Amino acid sequence: MAPFLRPGNSRWRGLGQLTPLLLLLAGLVLVRFSKGAGFTDAYALISRPFWPGPAQREWIVSANDVQQTSRLKLLERDNQRLRGLLSLQQRGSQVGLVSAAVIARRPRGWWQLLDLGKGALQGIAVNDAVLGPGGLLGRVSSTTPATARVKLLTAPGHEIGVWLPRSRSHGLLVGMGSSRPQLRFIDRDLDVRPGDLVSTSPASTLLPPNLPVGVVQAVNEQAAPATAAVVQLIASPEAIDWVQVMTR
Amino acid sequence: MARLYQRPMCIASSLMVPMATLATPPWLGLDGVPPAWPVIWLLPWALADGPVSGALSGLAVGLVMDGLHLSGSSQIPALVLLGWWWGRLGSRAQPIQRSLNLGLLAWLGSMLLGITLLAQLHIRFGWPLALEMQGWGWHTIWCQALITGLLTPMLASLQLLLWRRMPSK
Repeated sequence: MAPFLRPGNSRWRGLGQLTPLLLLLAGLVLVRFSKGAGFTDAYALISRPFWPGPAQREWIVSANDVQQTSRLKLLERDNQRLRGLLSLQQRGSQVGLVSAAVIARRPRGWWQLLDLGKGALQGIAVNDAVLGPGGLLGRVSSTTPATARVKLLTAPGHEIGVWLPRSRSHGLLVGMGSSRPQLRFIDRDLDVRPGDLVSTSPASTLLPPNLPVGVVQAVNEQAAPATAAVVQLIASPEAIDWVQVMTR
Repeated sequence: MARLYQRPMCIASSLMVPMATLATPPWLGLDGVPPAWPVIWLLPWALADGPVSGALSGLAVGLVMDGLHLSGSSQIPALVLLGWWWGRLGSRAQPIQRSLNLGLLAWLGSMLLGITLLAQLHIRFGWPLALEMQGWGWHTIWCQALITGLLTPMLASLQLLLWRRMPSK
């Protein structure tokens, strides 16, 4: 019997033989246009057990800390050099830190103060800056040989000059008795926004420069005679058992 | 009966005022505002010992308390006045020892003390005081008066009882 032949059958058979190649080509085009998504997902799935664990994360964090510390040191050195060039008082480089326990506290009420367990014998003097975790708490107002009394920034009428690094403007931080002191400016039109950092002035002669103080919480542009703001202090005197006094 | 100022133990009790002021834990205050310890101590003293002793004790405690606090405002005027007033009440009227009366007198005393301190702030910072500072001042006055009025009946009754039972020399 003669074989059954159809014209064109051989053409389809040739195409069938090429099908795997065409599929492969289509797959590669897909990979190309998906930017290798399938491969990376598959790789992620397979390699998951070998991903860096918490130990490696700690190494990275530690390395990051070292990097930040060294960067801070470099910046501080640079800052000192520039301040020297400007002939400003270089208190930042000369201060010593004395850790002192808080032996009595009256953060609310008529007199807002802390009593510290170290005094003149440890080198603490009147007007030394007192730091808590986060920033400036207040200034030493009086000392005895063994204790020091700190006037908190929130104490009514306590005034210090401050600096807003973002808007590069000066202000006067005034304690109002409440937990949030008021920031007063001289100029009316200032670019001050909630969230701005408040620090001691870089050119301060009374306090060490560039100490963080607080964050602007609200701005009152209608205040007379100039703009005023409410500042949330970073360091909270209510929950601090130890402070650091920057002696000169 | 010997006067209170003639008894060393009674005089020694005044040391509790600065000690309590320094050691007041935050939970003993109202919204962080501590009680007025000089008022709590001075009330039974003046009631028991008369106006002159009350005024002098107010002066003495006021001097100590002003030394303990930051300079600027003084508690002496209010404490001298309170000592005199309570001393007159104690010497002229029936003995005051009911809890409500003691609490009310202490509340009034603490209010007066707070108002004199706020008045001194007005003098220092000028009239009118900033709105925030005024709000804080009145908040402090009310909180302190309330916690002082609540604590006094317990402590002052005990003081009066001890002082009256104490044998005279």
